[in-house]
Amino acid sequence: MPAKLVIQDLTHHYPDEYTGESVHALEKINLKVEEGELVTVVGPSGCGKSTLLNILAGLLPYREGLVTVDGVKIEGPGSDRGVVFQEHAILPWRSVSKNIGHGLELRGAPVEERKQKVAAFIKLVGLEGFEDKYPHELSGGMKQRCAVARTLCADPVVMLMDEPFAAVDAQTRITLQEELNRIAIATKKTIIFITHAVDEAAFLGDRCFVFSARPGRLKAIVDINIAREKRIWSEMNVDKEFLSSRDEILRLVREEVNVAIEE
Amino acid sequence: MSMASTLSVNIQKRIGRQRLRKFFLGSIPFLILITVWHLNEVFNWLEPVFIPKVSEVWEAFFILQEDCEGFSAAIALDQSCMMSTHILSSVGRVLLASIIGLPAGIALGIFAGMSRPISKVLEPIGIFANSISGIAWIPLAIVWFGVGWMTTLFIMLNTIFWLMFFNAMMGVRSIARVYEQSVLTMGGSRWDVITNVYLPGAMPSIISGMRMSMGFGWRALIAAEMIGGDSGLGFMIFSSASEFKIEEVFLGVIIISLIFLATDRYCLIPLEKWTVHRWGLVWKPH
Repeated sequence: MPAKLVIQDLTHHYPDEYTGESVHALEKINLKVEEGELVTVVGPSGCGKSTLLNILAGLLPYREGLVTVDGVKIEGPGSDRGVVFQEHAILPWRSVSKNIGHGLELRGAPVEERKQKVAAFIKLVGLEGFEDKYPHELSGGMKQRCAVARTLCADPVVMLMDEPFAAVDAQTRITLQEELNRIAIATKKTIIFITHAVDEAAFLGDRCFVFSARPGRLKAIVDINIAREKRIWSEMNVDKEFLSSRDEILRLVREEVNVAIEE
Repeated sequence: MSMASTLSVNIQKRIGRQRLRKFFLGSIPFLILITVWHLNEVFNWLEPVFIPKVSEVWEAFFILQEDCEGFSAAIALDQSCMMSTHILSSVGRVLLASIIGLPAGIALGIFAGMSRPISKVLEPIGIFANSISGIAWIPLAIVWFGVGWMTTLFIMLNTIFWLMFFNAMMGVRSIARVYEQSVLTMGGSRWDVITNVYLPGAMPSIISGMRMSMGFGWRALIAAEMIGGDSGLGFMIFSSASEFKIEEVFLGVIIISLIFLATDRYCLIPLEKWTVHRWGLVWKPH
């Protein structure tokens, strides 16, 4: 079976917002993501991770290379690719349940179907009792749970996550990571998860793509062969496979950070 | 009675008391004003030619409405029903100008906020229109439309349209891009972005634009009625002043401010509570 998402020879330059100089963000990226896989993308800051995500989301037009989902070229944003943004991108003027049901509403799904699905996803992310609250009444962790449910409920083919847990506190982050793992088991979604945190990349990924410093190249792919059911922080902290994968990723990333500093 | 219901009765009492307290605080300045006004009457500080008696102003209302032949004549803006005709004329113009001007200003402001070409075309005209104060248009409007409804309506529309336009435009531009992106990446169309993001997201600016529109619009309307009107509260104040009926001038001013207060209290504040306060887009003081 062909891969769900294929990136071929993707190279990207963009003009710097202030100086106008051309920035070389991505160089010849080639990678494949299989159906139902959760891959993490990690690299030093400025390595083009966010550029890659914006291209995959269709928010940034690209000229060199080819990106396909289910064999169809990506041209602009679409409901086949859902995004969970770094900032809590849930609409402040919609209640929790209206935010989660937004994708279905935009698609014109019948009210009954919407109600059922929204209820199911509220349960999945543990927001029962907060259905009618507005985002400003939620904590940071709850907002991001709502954002994840909002994206999942629209039922995209691929879910793209752009450092979604970077803005929450350490305790909440650990919980959210375990919850996302549980959601990945329950929904079998194809997920591309971008992060700069090595622990997170190793904990969540079936595979981890390590990017080089600018211009971003695919430096290495680290396989993490740990069953999803086993992935709980209390166990991973002493798991040999996890620790060796994490150290491997850390080593690869640090090489790049040092390169970036020397430049 | 159960404990829960006793508690809820207590809470209700407390909310009632808070409301009363707010109402009391809000009415203090007015109470002081009326007291001083009345004291003037008692101690004769200023001549009654300049400051009429409180009772005279009160009576003026009924004198002006004296000849009115009932409700249907008042609604038909019959000349015999002087007081109600002036009030209804002004209120009618405000309503008409709002119904046309607010949505038009909001719609074009949103389009200008999201599209560079539209804003490039409309912004200079707006700046040009804003540089000329609303009342400076009155002589020209009289030449174009004559004295009466069209002139007064034009002056008010011109004022509120541009205020709404600029506020809605700035409102759209202050919305974080990520909200728009979150709708587009769920398959939403441009139109979905307008209705789901731009309109609610620009609401704080739109509401302050409405506040300004109503304030400046009223002022422009009163001025327009004075010079280019044949009815309305502005017209009434102006013609009463030329006949030295000072109590009618006072009456007109008081009615204008009461109508404006009511608009704010019963239209704009509820809208604000229902939208931007509920959504947490603005904070309110304790």
